[in-house]
Formats: sequence, C-alpha cells, structure tokens
Amino acid sequence: MLSRVADSLYWMGRYLERAENLTRLLLVTEDFSTETQGLAEDLAQTAWKDMLSIFPSAQLTREVTRFAPMSVPYLHTFFIDQANPYSIHFSMRKARENARSVREALTLEVFLALNETFRALETYEKRGMLDLPAFRDALTATHKGIFTVVGAIEHTSTRDEGWRFLKLGESLERSYRSALVLRTKLPALLAAEARGDAPLYYTQWRTLLRSLSSLENYRRVYGARLEPSLVIGFLLFDAHSPRSLRYGASVVREYLATISGPEELTAPARVIGKLHADLRYDDEAQMRRGDFAGVLDHVVAELAKTHDAIATQYFVT
Amino acid sequence: MKWLPEKKAFDEAFEGGGTARSHYRPLVSILESFTQSEIERRERLQKLSLMDQGITFTVYGEKEGTERIFPFDFVPRVIPAREWERLQAGLIQRVTALNLFILDVYQGQKCLKDRLIPPELVFSRKEYKRELLNVIPPRQIFTHVVGTDIIRNHAGEYLVLEDNCRCPSGVSYVLENRNTLNRVFPEFFKYYPVRPIKDYPTLLLETLLHAAPRLSEKPVVVILTPGMANSAYFEHSFLAREMGVVLVEGRDLIVEDNYVLMRTTQGKQKVDVIYRRIDDDFLDPLVFRRDSLLGVPGLLNVYREGNVALANAPGAGVADDKSVYAFMPALIKYYLGQDALLPQVQTYLGARPQDFSYIQEHARELVIKTTGDSGGYGMLMGPFAAKKEIEAYVAQMKKNPGNYIAQPLIELSAHPTYVDGKFEPRRVDLRPFILYGESVRVLPGGLTRVALRAGSYVVNSSQGGGSKDTWVLAAKDA
Repeated sequence: MLSRVADSLYWMGRYLERAENLTRLLLVTEDFSTETQGLAEDLAQTAWKDMLSIFPSAQLTREVTRFAPMSVPYLHTFFIDQANPYSIHFSMRKARENARSVREALTLEVFLALNETFRALETYEKRGMLDLPAFRDALTATHKGIFTVVGAIEHTSTRDEGWRFLKLGESLERSYRSALVLRTKLPALLAAEARGDAPLYYTQWRTLLRSLSSLENYRRVYGARLEPSLVIGFLLFDAHSPRSLRYGASVVREYLATISGPEELTAPARVIGKLHADLRYDDEAQMRRGDFAGVLDHVVAELAKTHDAIATQYFVT
Repeated sequence: MKWLPEKKAFDEAFEGGGTARSHYRPLVSILESFTQSEIERRERLQKLSLMDQGITFTVYGEKEGTERIFPFDFVPRVIPAREWERLQAGLIQRVTALNLFILDVYQGQKCLKDRLIPPELVFSRKEYKRELLNVIPPRQIFTHVVGTDIIRNHAGEYLVLEDNCRCPSGVSYVLENRNTLNRVFPEFFKYYPVRPIKDYPTLLLETLLHAAPRLSEKPVVVILTPGMANSAYFEHSFLAREMGVVLVEGRDLIVEDNYVLMRTTQGKQKVDVIYRRIDDDFLDPLVFRRDSLLGVPGLLNVYREGNVALANAPGAGVADDKSVYAFMPALIKYYLGQDALLPQVQTYLGARPQDFSYIQEHARELVIKTTGDSGGYGMLMGPFAAKKEIEAYVAQMKKNPGNYIAQPLIELSAHPTYVDGKFEPRRVDLRPFILYGESVRVLPGGLTRVALRAGSYVVNSSQGGGSKDTWVLAAKDA
C-alpha cells in the first residue's frame, strides 16, 4: 500500500489511542482530585501536574486561579483546547484529518463514528464547559464516542495491511503512554510508602491501576488486595493484561511481523524484539533489583526508537 | 401545501395554468399529503446524514471551517424517457465530435487548414499544448469523462451551455443525492420507474481500464488528487473507494526508467492508468508550471512514451474552450456529416471584429464571459449590472477582445424547490456525465444544480448553489 496511506493510518491509530488515554486519565484524575483535595491538597495537585510529564511537551493554556477548582485549567487544557497538541480535541482532529486524507482506506462506519465524535468535541469547545459535572458528562460521552470508533474499526475493517498499520500505531501509542504514566507516577508512589497514611496510600495505588484501565483486571488475578509489588509486577510484566508493558511490546512485535512477513527481520522488529525479550524473560531479576525508574527509562527510550525505525522502514521511501 | 409556479421562465413541473405536468403529478400529490412538520422532520434528518457522512465540499478563502455540505434540495427533478433519449443521442454525438476535434488538433490539424476554425483561435488558448503535438493517447481517446452543462430556455428546449472536457466534477453528488433521497423520502420511488445510477463507478473503472496503454495486462489504475485541501477532495476519495483503486497524491508517484511508480510500503509499484483530477498545468513541473508541487516531475515524458495513460488526456481542454464552443455545430457537421442533435446558445466571439462591436453595443443585454474561467468567475451579467460596472468591463475587454465571448441571457428553467417552508421555483441546470470507453455512454441522470436564492441564475456550488436528485424515467414499454 502507499507509504503515505500507511503513515496516515498509523497516525490515526496513534491519535485515537492517545485520545482514549487522555479521556481516561482526565476522568480518573478528576475522581482522585475530588476525593483527596480536602485531605491532602498537595497530592491532588501533583496528580494534575503529572499530566504535564505524561504528555511531555504540553503546557497549561489556562491559568490556575485561586478560587476555581484546581482541575479546571487542566481539564480545559487537555480536553477541549485545540491549541494544546496533547488535548483530546486536538488528537481527535488529527485522527480525523488522517482519516480524511485516506478515507478510501476506511469503511463508512468508521468514518461516520469518527466524524460524530469529533463534531461533538467542536460543539463542546464552542459552547464552553459550565462546571465540573459538565466536564465529566462531556468526557464520558467522548469516551463512549472513541470506543464506538474503535468498535467500528474492529467490526468492519478488513484485516489488510492498512488495518495492521492502524493497529501498529494504536499499540505503540498504548505502550508508550502506559510507560510514561508509570515513569511519572511510580517513583513518587514508592517514595511515599513511609508516609503511612494507609487509606490515602491505597487510593493512590488504585488510581494508578485505574489510570491504566487495569483495576478490574488486577482484581481478577489478585483479588482486592493491593500489594505494591504485585501491582508493579502486573503493570509491567503480566502476560494477558492489554496495558502491561510486556503485553504491549508483544503486540507491537506481532503487528510488525505480520506487516513484514515472519521471515523478514526489519530494523523496528529488532528493536521491539529485544525489548520484548527483556520484559518477557528478565522479569524476575528486574523485580528483585527494584530499579523501576531505570527499567521504565529503558522502555520509554526503546519504544521511541521503535517508532523512528518504523518511520524509516515504511514511511520514508 | 402551496406551490408557487414560475412566471418568467419555463417551469419544469407546472404548466402555464398551474396544473402539474403529467410526470410531476404523482410527486406533487405525495408531497401534498405530507404535513409541514413531517417535511421539516425529514429535512432535518437529511441534513444530519450529510454532515455525519462528511459529504462536504471545501470553500476556498473561508475562515470558519472550510468544509461545508453541498445544500441538497429533496424535490427531485424528473426527466421523461423520451426527453432523455433525445438528450442522450445528442450528447453521444457531441462527445464523439469533441474527441475527433481534439485528435485533429493534435494530429493533422485538418480543420484548421480547412479554415473551419481560425487557427490562431486554437493556438492562442492556454489549453492548447503545443508540446503534445502528435502525441496520441491509446485508442485515440482524449475525453474519457465529459460533463456537459445543459440548460432549458423559456420554451423548455434543451440547450448545451458548455462542455467540460478536463476534470468535470460533481458525479459523487449525483450518487449521494440518490442515496439520501432513498433514505429520507422512500415514498417517492414507489410511483416512478427511476433508472438506477449506482453502477457509475463500475462503468468508470471499465472506461479507465480501456484507456490503458496495453490492454492485455492487468492494468493498475489510480486516481490522482491535489489533496485534502481541494474543493472536490470528497469526490476523489469517494470514487477511489467505490472503484477500489488507490488514491494518490503527486508526492506518492515517482518517475523511473520512463515508468510511473507509486511509493508503497513494499517498495515501488508500476502505475498504468492515472485518472487525474488536477489540471494540465499542474501535472508535470518539468513541462508545464514549474512551481507546481501537485504533479509528478517527468510524468509527461512517460505519457509521451506511451507507458502511462492519463484520463482525460492532457491537452483535451482545448475543446471545452468557450470560443471553440461557438464552432461546435460546424465541427459536428464537419466530422460526422450530421446536423447537431442538441441546439446550443447563440455565441458572439470577441475575436471576430463584427461580433466584438455587437458585444460592445449590446453589453446591457448580454452575458459576457472570459474564455479561460469557469465556475461563474470573471463573468458580466449585462441585464443585472450597473452602468458603471458595464463600462469598466467593456474597457477591460478592449485590451484583449479575443479573451471574451458573449451570449444572450437565457431564462433558465425553474424547478419547485423547498425554501424556508415553501415550494418556490428556483433556476436549474443539468450536468450529465458521459464516459468514453469501448463506446460512448451517458449516465442516466446527472447533477441538477439549483440557484437557491430567489431570482438568481447562478447555480455554482461556490456561489450559493445547491443540487437535486435527477431522475431519468425508464420507457414504459421497456
């Protein structure tokens, strides 16, 4: 297929996944901040500030004012503000632009769902958001809209090369963003252990799991008991959870293999293959060592390298 | 439900006395059986469906969201079988002659030597490509897709207004309008034998395959688009999807060893037929406009070598020039030995001294157009223009008379159209689409454009026009 089309589909996948991550992170962080702001305002504030590390080059486009709820500037910046290249609105616009530029490669159902969700976002921006419940409402509707798009892709697309590039973009963005969430939140959480404020402490771990839509999946494996080492093991090395780093790397690896054919070993396949092996075979040693910051730096760097190698291999011909 | 008949021009649906013409009678009764609120509900449904499907066109130079829906009016235009048969025969004849004329211009120039057309009139057109002299496309077909604009005068007579031999657009709306009407007013179709049009993409693909340099191989067909910012991008992508071919931009193509290749994830792949939706001037920066970023350097050379086919063939635009138009009846006679089946509008040529003085004297009664422009740009509507405006235009004309033509104002026929809760007459035209493959075929239907402003004659989408579904009825005994 055309390199340009593959490129657009890859980015459409990335932006859709990014929009979903953003929506989820905003909803979860808003929950956390409402729950904790009276108890420990600094934790709530940190949770919001973390957004700027998970989306590294983002900047607040609204000022934090004294009496407004602290979440409003963040919600505004990351939800509806088009000027922020890491807002949901911006990501969906990009997803749609990419879709529009390769519309012939997509089914009508996919395009319809994407168009509808995007048009709702435009309305939100035009109308503005009255208060926090309005934000929450609109975020929930957007979350559903994005799932409708993803569902339409799942149900109506032929599994051809275009679909593989779309899924490759989606899976790379998912792994990369999950790694950034962990890299931002995990070290602080591990350092906070000493504080000993038990209910709050567990709220944070629970929030971390929810941030990676893994709370229910974790409970299915370990029950309601939140053990930090189990949570870390689950988020980094679990074999089945769609948002564990190991699983993510294996998915990226598989899509790359179906694109190139199993025989051929391409540059991106080498990078992701090695990363996958680290996560797959070295999990016990890494858990023992406990240098999670180091592990996460490594994962983030290797995934970035994978992206560059994909671009060189397939999009620049 | 009130119907307001047209007073000044031919009314498509009603006779002078206000009774519906026989082929509009069922439609009028159905619409009269709806309440106002029912109609409004259907109309809302229809608008929503167009927007959600992204059936839009792009408006140049407009800040607020460049995509707009092409307004669709749900009152369909109905063309009886016998009227269509005459139209179809006339169009086939016309396109056959147009193609023979282009062939002659680029090989032999017999019609110029015979002084049927003043040679300088052809040579001075920017659509005439001297570089392509004696470069003849496969099977001698230049005009694979033609959109001919048809109007009706006060007597209801069908007249050819202009031919579009380059990249006529609008066919996607023809198909989508039918889809929309099927969905929003299914009741309409029960009482009419409407001829289907949905196989257009199949016919187009056949036409393009027939254009391939070598018929024996399995040719690779692509559509070349200027990109997302182009006003017809929706159509380009629509046709690619419907035909199952690749939609490429100039940057996706590359010329190597005198072949055109496209850049794919599996390396480079040969392309045989390019249905190009960009103008000649932008096709190849090495031959035409050097600043064009839309085209493919070296493309024309591959075309000359016969290693790729372009549809329509470059240089074909020489035939849809507004001054060549004036000679069409003579050209049909010259090439086919037949009288033109479809009449056309009386045309005065700025290039002819006696015509030019007539144009100057009668500017107030005439519609004056520049030969190069389309889409209603660069035009003076004498009967509606202020005196100063006319004087300025005439002064401009004197600098280059050959660039202008003039025609009497035709009272375009009017068609009932739903505007602000009422059915009112609005002026319409018709663009049928003609495909030149193994034979010349006309899609039974076409784009009916409608001027949505009361009293307006301008139907162009860029200037506030809308469109209608166009029904060609099957013959009763067929």
